[in-house]
Amino acid sequence: LSLMALRLRLKNSFCHSFDAPVLTSSISEVINLFLGSPDAHVKPQFLDSEVQDILTRITGLNLEKVFRPIKQELKPPKYKLMTDAQLEEATQSAREQAQRLLKMPPVLPERKPINDVLSEDKILEGMDTAKYVFTDITFNIPHRERFIVIREPTGTLRKASWEERDRILQVYFPKEGRRLTAPPVFKEENLKVVFGQDRHEDMLDLCQVQFEPDSSEYIRVHAATYEDLEKMGKYDLLRSTRHFGGLVWYLVNARRVDGLMIDMLQKDLLQDAVSLVGLFNKVHPHSETAQEASSQQAYGLDLLKIYAKRESQRAGYVELALQAYEQTSAESTV
Amino acid sequence: MVHLSSFLLKTYHGGHIVIRLAMAGHKQSNRPFYRIVAAYNKRARDSKYIEQLGSYDPLPNIYNEKLVSINSDGIKYWMGCGAHPTKPVAKLLGLAGFFPLHPMTVTETERHRALAELAEEAAPEDGVKQQQL
Repeated sequence: LSLMALRLRLKNSFCHSFDAPVLTSSISEVINLFLGSPDAHVKPQFLDSEVQDILTRITGLNLEKVFRPIKQELKPPKYKLMTDAQLEEATQSAREQAQRLLKMPPVLPERKPINDVLSEDKILEGMDTAKYVFTDITFNIPHRERFIVIREPTGTLRKASWEERDRILQVYFPKEGRRLTAPPVFKEENLKVVFGQDRHEDMLDLCQVQFEPDSSEYIRVHAATYEDLEKMGKYDLLRSTRHFGGLVWYLVNARRVDGLMIDMLQKDLLQDAVSLVGLFNKVHPHSETAQEASSQQAYGLDLLKIYAKRESQRAGYVELALQAYEQTSAESTV
Repeated sequence: MVHLSSFLLKTYHGGHIVIRLAMAGHKQSNRPFYRIVAAYNKRARDSKYIEQLGSYDPLPNIYNEKLVSINSDGIKYWMGCGAHPTKPVAKLLGLAGFFPLHPMTVTETERHRALAELAEEAAPEDGVKQQQL
C-alpha cells in the first residue's frame, strides 16, 4: 500500500508541469531502495533515465528532417561568412537545438474520473434551470490544483469532471492552438482519411496541442496512430521526430516489436535493433528472451539471435535479415 | 456608522470599499455581463474601479452553464482591508461555497417553488376548461 502511495506521489509531482527536466535518478531505483531487496522487480516507467536514453538513441537525429521548412512568416534568407571552426560551432548548436525539439512528450496512465461531491443542499432545489460553474482565477496556482466547482439545479455542489475542467481552463487561461471543442478530425472515420495521406506526425502534434496527456482522448488517438503505423510498416515517418519514443514504448508494452525490428535491420541500424531488444528485456524481464539473455550474458548480435529464436512471430524473416547483414559486413571487411 | 475600512486603508476617500457587480457590456442591449469588482462605494456602478476580482455571465451557454470566475486571493485581501460585499455578490459566493449560504437564496428558492406550484395548478385547470369548451 505504501509503495503505491509513493509511486502516486512521484507521478503526481510530474503532472504539474510537463516542461520539468528529466530526473537524474530513475523512479524504479528510488522505489527499489525503499523496498529493500534488490531482487524485487518494479516495472520500468517511461520517464526513467535509462529508458529515456535508449529511446533517444533509437529516435536518431536527422537534422534535415527536424529543421525541415515549416509554415512560418516569409523572411529573406540570411547569409553568413564563417570559418570552418565557426561552422562546427553552428552545427553543434543546431544539434543541441534539435535535441531540445526532440524532447519526448510524457506517456501517462489514463486519469481517474472525479466524482467528488462537496455538499448536498436539498433546500436549493428548483432555484434555477442552469448550472453555475465557479472557477478560481488566482494566478499562482497550477492548473491541476485549481478549484472548479459546479452548483447543479438540484442543489448539489460538486467538483467539475476532467472534460469540463479542460474546457473551462481553456476559457479563462487559453492555450495557443487549443480549441474549446475538439476538432472533428479526431473521430475514427476522419482519422483513417488522415492516415491515408501519411500525415501521422501532424495528427500527433495536433493531438498534443488539443488534449492533456492523461486524457482518454489523447490515449485513444495515439493508440490508433501507432496501430496504423505498425499495420502499414511506416515507421520512417516518425523516425527523427519526438513521437518515436512513444511509438516504441507502445510496441514494447504490447510485445509486437517484430515489424520495427525488421525495418531497422533492412535499414542497417544494428545498434538501434540491439538497444530495442535491450529495452524489451528490461520491460519484460520474465519473458524467455530476457531470461536466456541474462543467463548467457549475451551482447550485440547474439541478443538479436536469441530474440529471433524465442520471441518473434516472424522468426524466419528476422534470421534472414541477420544473415544478410552478417554477409554484407563480412564482404565489407574483406 | 463608522466604516472599519477607513482605519485600515492608507488614504481617506470619504467612503468605504465594496465588492460588487459592475456591468461590462459597453451599452450592448439585451446582453448583460458583470465584472466582480472592488470599488469605492460612492463611485458610479460601471466607472473606475480599484481591482477586478472576477466575472459573472448571467446568460447560460450551450452546455447550460452560467460561468462565474472568482479571484479568491483578491477577495480575501480586500475583505481583510475592510471591503463589504453587496447582496448579489454574497449570494453568488454563497452558492460557490466560498461563503456560507445566504439566507435570501433559500427564501427565494422557496418563493420560486411556490410560484411554480401555483402555475402548475393553474395550467391543468386551463387545460380542463379548454376541453370542456
